[in-house]
Amino acid sequence: MSYLNHVNEQGGVHGRTIKVVAYDDSYDPPMCMANTQKLIIDDQVFALFCYVGTPTTVKVLPMIEEARIPLLGMFTGANALREPFSRHLINVRASYYQETGAAVRHLIDDLGLQKIAVFYQYDAYGFDGLTGTELALKRFNLAPVAGGSYNRGTLDVQEGLNKIMASGAEAVVMIGTYDPCAKFIRLAHEQGFRPLFYLVSFVGADELARRLENQHGITVVMSQVVPPPDRLDPSPLLAGPDGYVTLLKRYFPEDQPNFVGFEGFINARVLVEGLKRAGADLTRQAFINAIESIHDLSLGLGINIAFSASDHQGLDRVYFTRLANGQFSLIKDWADIKAQLDASR
Amino acid sequence: MKRDLIREAAKRFRDTSLKNKIFFSILAVILIISIVIAMLARWILVDNLIDELELRGIAIGRTIAERSSGYILDKNYPELLSLIFDEAKLKERQHLVSYIFVSDREDDVLSHTLTRPFPESLRLANRVPPDETKSVRLFRVGDQMAYDIAIPITQGIYRIGTVHVGLNQNHIDQLVGKLRTTFLGFLSLVVVIIFVITHRIAKYITMPISKLTQISDELSKGNFDVKLDAEQGTDSGQPLECPAFANPDVPCRRLDGELAVVDGGAEILGTDPVCRDCRFYRRQKGDEVAQLADAFYNMIWSIRLYRRRLRESEKKYRSLFDSGPDPIFVVNPHGFEIIDANPRAVEVYGYSREELIGKPFTELAPEHTHKYFQSLQDQGETHGLVTYPKALHYKKGHTPFYVNLHASNIAYKGQPAIVLASTDITEMIEKDAQLVQASKMGSLGEMSAGIAHELNQPLNAIKMGSDFLSMMVEQQREIPPKDLHQVVAEMSTQVDRAAEIINTLRSFGRKAELVTERVDINKPIQAVFSLVGRQFELENIRMELDLGRGIPAIMAHDNRLQQVFFNLVTNARDAISEKKGRLPGRPAGRILIRTFQEGDQVVAEVEDDGIGISDAVRDKIFEPFFSTKESSIDMGLGLAITYGIVKDYRGDLQLTSQEGIGTTFKLSFAVA
Repeated sequence: MSYLNHVNEQGGVHGRTIKVVAYDDSYDPPMCMANTQKLIIDDQVFALFCYVGTPTTVKVLPMIEEARIPLLGMFTGANALREPFSRHLINVRASYYQETGAAVRHLIDDLGLQKIAVFYQYDAYGFDGLTGTELALKRFNLAPVAGGSYNRGTLDVQEGLNKIMASGAEAVVMIGTYDPCAKFIRLAHEQGFRPLFYLVSFVGADELARRLENQHGITVVMSQVVPPPDRLDPSPLLAGPDGYVTLLKRYFPEDQPNFVGFEGFINARVLVEGLKRAGADLTRQAFINAIESIHDLSLGLGINIAFSASDHQGLDRVYFTRLANGQFSLIKDWADIKAQLDASR
Repeated sequence: MKRDLIREAAKRFRDTSLKNKIFFSILAVILIISIVIAMLARWILVDNLIDELELRGIAIGRTIAERSSGYILDKNYPELLSLIFDEAKLKERQHLVSYIFVSDREDDVLSHTLTRPFPESLRLANRVPPDETKSVRLFRVGDQMAYDIAIPITQGIYRIGTVHVGLNQNHIDQLVGKLRTTFLGFLSLVVVIIFVITHRIAKYITMPISKLTQISDELSKGNFDVKLDAEQGTDSGQPLECPAFANPDVPCRRLDGELAVVDGGAEILGTDPVCRDCRFYRRQKGDEVAQLADAFYNMIWSIRLYRRRLRESEKKYRSLFDSGPDPIFVVNPHGFEIIDANPRAVEVYGYSREELIGKPFTELAPEHTHKYFQSLQDQGETHGLVTYPKALHYKKGHTPFYVNLHASNIAYKGQPAIVLASTDITEMIEKDAQLVQASKMGSLGEMSAGIAHELNQPLNAIKMGSDFLSMMVEQQREIPPKDLHQVVAEMSTQVDRAAEIINTLRSFGRKAELVTERVDINKPIQAVFSLVGRQFELENIRMELDLGRGIPAIMAHDNRLQQVFFNLVTNARDAISEKKGRLPGRPAGRILIRTFQEGDQVVAEVEDDGIGISDAVRDKIFEPFFSTKESSIDMGLGLAITYGIVKDYRGDLQLTSQEGIGTTFKLSFAVA
């Protein structure tokens, strides 16, 4: 948002300013669908941007296909947005498959863990993460030792926790939202179950960290699709004149830099780049073609965005962070985690 | 115009080959059946498909109506949207359903699946009447046609809204099209298969027929040695292995049937192992086409056998024709041109073969040819034989000669013709003539006494005249001119008379020419009378002539006719003498010669009142060397020669006689 404000302030793209129309779907798919129809018909937006959540986004996919409207930068790594390939869907972040795949590899290779359970939200998002984990484990000829689930919008995690505890899992891959996940971890901890908790990027690092402030001796690892936007990092992407930290401070001074905001910032960069490349005669198809022409857009911090006609996912990298001292920071050495894990047993 | 086209097409069809006829007929039938099936199937399938799709649309509408009532009452429109969108986009349904919308009681749209502004026209386009549970209408939405299926949403007994399901007509058309394409494809495949099969069948049927036609063509060109077996793959052996082929005299059971057995071929057939299992005639097995081929093959083999026999026969008869001892002609029955003549004809008639062919036969034989050709034609076209003895023919250079001619109708090269065989009988005729001459000489000798007497009379008269003259001269007497004239005139008359007798004698004794001439039948009678009349009178036989006047001439020889009448009157005299000699006083006899015309016949009758002819000898009297006379000088040839001469002139000689009363010979000749 801050970047878009910045761009508009600079005169927009090809003389056009970018107007963001936002509706709240409350993470409710029908609501999301109604909103989408409203955006398309009533607001007549050019493109859809930064949709949040797997079930909501997946729900509107048919409508997007029918309306042939571009949807860019979804806050979900769901496989359903990547396969089957759709011309109108433009992902920026790495997929949940990639996140869980990389995580499972670390759990097994670096931490020597074998017994891995999955705790997931019982909807398209959770299933997607579950599938990704299962696929990743399968590469090691393993399968989840247990699976627990909860319904979206509830906090009924006890049943899933019991199942997973019963399996004696050494690690739990969690695909959910921050509240149920925090509750799960808390309950596990209270009940003396201390595996490694791994969460995918969607969980929301800051919210989770806040909810687990008082918990100690737990090992929580989260994967991210963007590097941590450290306010002290001097990288131009963050601290430059149009960097994330700079612009955030300028337009939303009360907000702290976070992963979600940074991802949105990157998405906005991609959007603006696409609009620029699409030229003055803007059409949806031209925009998509323009996005597809971005083969190597280097933003700094090792973020290189690349699309093609058959690849509508800009980033592939997965970053791992661990919760320490109330906040997530980039994991430098998996051996520390292993040591901590061994100690907590 | 249209009719002409049809007629033209029918004509084309008629002229086309059998193969094409079969082929096109079957094809046409299959096509018609296919089209009927296609139309029926289209009708049934397409209608059913549309009905089915409509039912699906209604089912979707009902489901939504059922599930949406809660959302409508709760005004939970996002859930409603989600519901209808899910229903609309459920897998392959998304192609069929072009839109779904839900309207409330006042027909205001609550939710719709369109991603463009809702067209106002759609809202009220299809309203469900109050009592109906559904309404289906087809109308245009945007740029495409859609079936709008409206289902009311009820809560209790009240209607709270309506679901509209729009079925994409393009999609239905596509489905129908796909169905049609599949179906037509299938039918096309069937047609193609039938096409191929038909083609094969037609070819199978017509190939042997074409082959037979080809062979027939060869046959009609005269090539009877066509290879029949090449593609039939059977070994029939060399033709000469067939006994009937090798020797045309050997009968073949197949070809000659039972005749073969009758003709004594049974032995050959019964014993010859070749014939028991004939390798040339085929057994007719297999289907009709194969049977036809076999029958055809058999026919050809029969033709070959026949041809061979015919050739042998032709060779045989040709050699008879070519080396026959007598001239043979083949003559056109209408113009009498010579069509063919054998070498002997060339030799005998002196013309070259080229000269003969095309020459009218009448040129070789001007006399009577028409007549016997006519009689031949009267006997019918195919048979009939006419024998014409002693016909006068002319060699090259108009040299006449006599032939016996046999003529019969034949078919020559398919045309009716007359075949003539002539036998040169000139030599025989000459012998005849010599015989006649000898007989004449005999007659002359017989006549000599009468002739001498006959000559004596004028001589006596002359003697008397000359004596008178001489006496008058001696007596120095004046001869009155009147007397002198009378005497001289009388002497001259008597000289003339003597000369006439001598002329008659000379002409009688002269050998007759070959060529007949027109003769007045009275002349020879008078000549004979002048020769023998006086003599008969001496024998007390009166000879009376009753000659008709203006009788037409006949074709004959004067001196031969003299001989005829001479023989007849001599016989009459003998008969009279025989009768009168037994009677006392030797009463006078009478011979009457009459001539008259009877129709187209000239008739001469010689009647006597002699002894007559007994029935016992009547049949024999014309035989040579038969005589009732006792004298040894008579050779019994007289009547035989007479009969021969009359027959030579195509005349007739009839005899009526009463023993002891008299005999009448009746001669009749055709008017010339």
